[in-house]
Amino acid sequence: MIQLEHLTKVYNGVRAVDNLTADIPEGEIFGLLGPNGSGKSTTILMLVGLIEPTGGRCLINGLDTVRDPVSVKQQIGYMPEDVGFYATLSAEENLTYFGALYGMDPKVCRQRTAELLDLIGLSGVNKTVSGYSKGMRQRLGLAKALLNDPKVIILDEPTANLDPRGVADYRKIITGVAQAGTTVIVSSHILEEISRVSTMVGILSAGRLVAQGSWKDLAEDLAKKDGGLVTIRVESLDPVPELSHPDIIDVRYETGRFGAIIRARSDIRGAVAENLALHNVRIQGLSREGLTLEETFLSYYQVAG
Amino acid sequence: MAQGRLITVAKKELFDHLKSRKFLLIFGILLVVAIVGMIGGITEYNKALDRYNEHQSAIDSPLSSYIAEKPSILSVFASVATYLVFVGAILGIAMGFDLVSKEKESKSLKILLSHPVYRDEVINGKALGGITALSGALFVVLFIALATLLVYGIVPDGSELVLIGIFAAVSFLLIFSYFAIALFMSTIMDESGEALIYTIIVFILLSVLVPTLANDTVMENLVGSQPEIPQELLDQMQRPVTNATESNTFSVTVSDKGDNGAWDEYNEQVRAYWEKQQMVKDTFALFSPTMDYQSVTSTITSTMTPGFVLSAGNGVTTAFMVSEGETTSVEDILGKILANIAALLLFPAVFFGLAYLRFMRLDVR
Repeated sequence: MIQLEHLTKVYNGVRAVDNLTADIPEGEIFGLLGPNGSGKSTTILMLVGLIEPTGGRCLINGLDTVRDPVSVKQQIGYMPEDVGFYATLSAEENLTYFGALYGMDPKVCRQRTAELLDLIGLSGVNKTVSGYSKGMRQRLGLAKALLNDPKVIILDEPTANLDPRGVADYRKIITGVAQAGTTVIVSSHILEEISRVSTMVGILSAGRLVAQGSWKDLAEDLAKKDGGLVTIRVESLDPVPELSHPDIIDVRYETGRFGAIIRARSDIRGAVAENLALHNVRIQGLSREGLTLEETFLSYYQVAG
Repeated sequence: MAQGRLITVAKKELFDHLKSRKFLLIFGILLVVAIVGMIGGITEYNKALDRYNEHQSAIDSPLSSYIAEKPSILSVFASVATYLVFVGAILGIAMGFDLVSKEKESKSLKILLSHPVYRDEVINGKALGGITALSGALFVVLFIALATLLVYGIVPDGSELVLIGIFAAVSFLLIFSYFAIALFMSTIMDESGEALIYTIIVFILLSVLVPTLANDTVMENLVGSQPEIPQELLDQMQRPVTNATESNTFSVTVSDKGDNGAWDEYNEQVRAYWEKQQMVKDTFALFSPTMDYQSVTSTITSTMTPGFVLSAGNGVTTAFMVSEGETTSVEDILGKILANIAALLLFPAVFFGLAYLRFMRLDVR
């Protein structure tokens, strides 16, 4: 459904997106992950046709986003992170205007608008968008993205301003449209959110796609690549000293240092125990754990450089 | 479909303008100044008409040696033009300065352009919506102006209606020029405040600085002083006759043509002087829609009007003048103002073209 082929964008000599290639099948919810400045938003803007790639191309349903921008936009629904509407218009008026741009029949558009506003919990809100909270605007943004019954939905940080109920509604809606065959791309830095809804994930680092697949596949690949990453949890009654070992990738100390999480290339629990004993640290627990989402993400990010 | 999207954008923009407080406020001011200007103009017109009628009846008076003309209805619009040149420009600026920048600030541009609409449809739709609102506003002003004329029992004839139409058209072009400049600023600036400031700077440049460059002192340096009336001619005259109109077209006519040779020579010098000055002013005007507008409206509103009583200096009070038996046709007037009208067409075209190009290449992030 969506192909990114050697997609590149250079801003003032800086490669914001660098030779990105990906293939997203129909009906998948693809989570695009990456730290700030990794190229997520730039990739999405190129997908939506708001900026032109410096090199490569994006194909949506076989259509090039640069050569057939209007045909592509007819098939997508987009919600940016900082979703902006016409403040002096009501939600209905905003959606009716956008519906007209999609070429929707006014009667069908009014009906669809009413359904969507009901779906996102904004029906009966009789005020202009200027009086909306950020969360309400984000809900309206989701309604707008669904307005034309698109084949592809592209969402940039969709839950950033939503309350817990809004997040739950969003997950239900997105999962529902994906099950109906719509392809969804969700960009977020909230790992938990991506892991809850996405069926596939792509990790961006410095404009490059460093990993693509399911979480499980990524963790397994990572383990294979690095000879098996190990997470060791330390719980102690005394503060944990600085730990050093050639196999340690990083250590995160808990508050007051009464515990630590060690990521290492091998199971170094024996060496850690010896080190702690040397510093007279009373150990409560020393256990090996599987990779969390965050650890998987950070590992890929670190491996990428 | 393409036309549908263009119209959709234009309709939204039009209703945005019509609902906007700033548009309604400036439009209200425009209406008030138009009505006040019309009433003032009609009062002056009636006075001039009374003078004309008095002159016609006083055929035995010493002034009977010159020929006065019936005042033109167009003179009524002179004071309207004086107000319109500023209020109209401000209306154009107010309507254009945030058309694109406001959408950048509110992030609605990103949403808008993610829809199946070409960028040229968006920028053309914005311009079309603005033009329609401006045309509507000017139509109402013109309608009220004509209604005011009729209320006072003044009925324009065919050629006067044509000139009123030209007056309305150039007024529209003036407002559209500043609208286009403001729209251009709105596309290149990220914030509406910046766009407004830079538009005002350009407005001051074009409406104050450029006309200042064409003032008398600069003119004197560029084209020299006006030729003085030779003393021998002054001595011959009981009443020196001088004619100057606001547009600086100049002619001298004497009722006593006893010494045509000296007069013709002087007349030729003066004509050449004013033509040279007019050429320099026209050149300056090409860079200022305000000057173009003033040039056109003063030509239209002062044509076929009675002359002015002037002081020629040197303690000699002159009587006045008219081109004897001459009336200026619409074609003649058009000939005089064609360059200015062309410049008034060029201004919005250039700035809208620049705004268009910029908008088409805009990176929306």
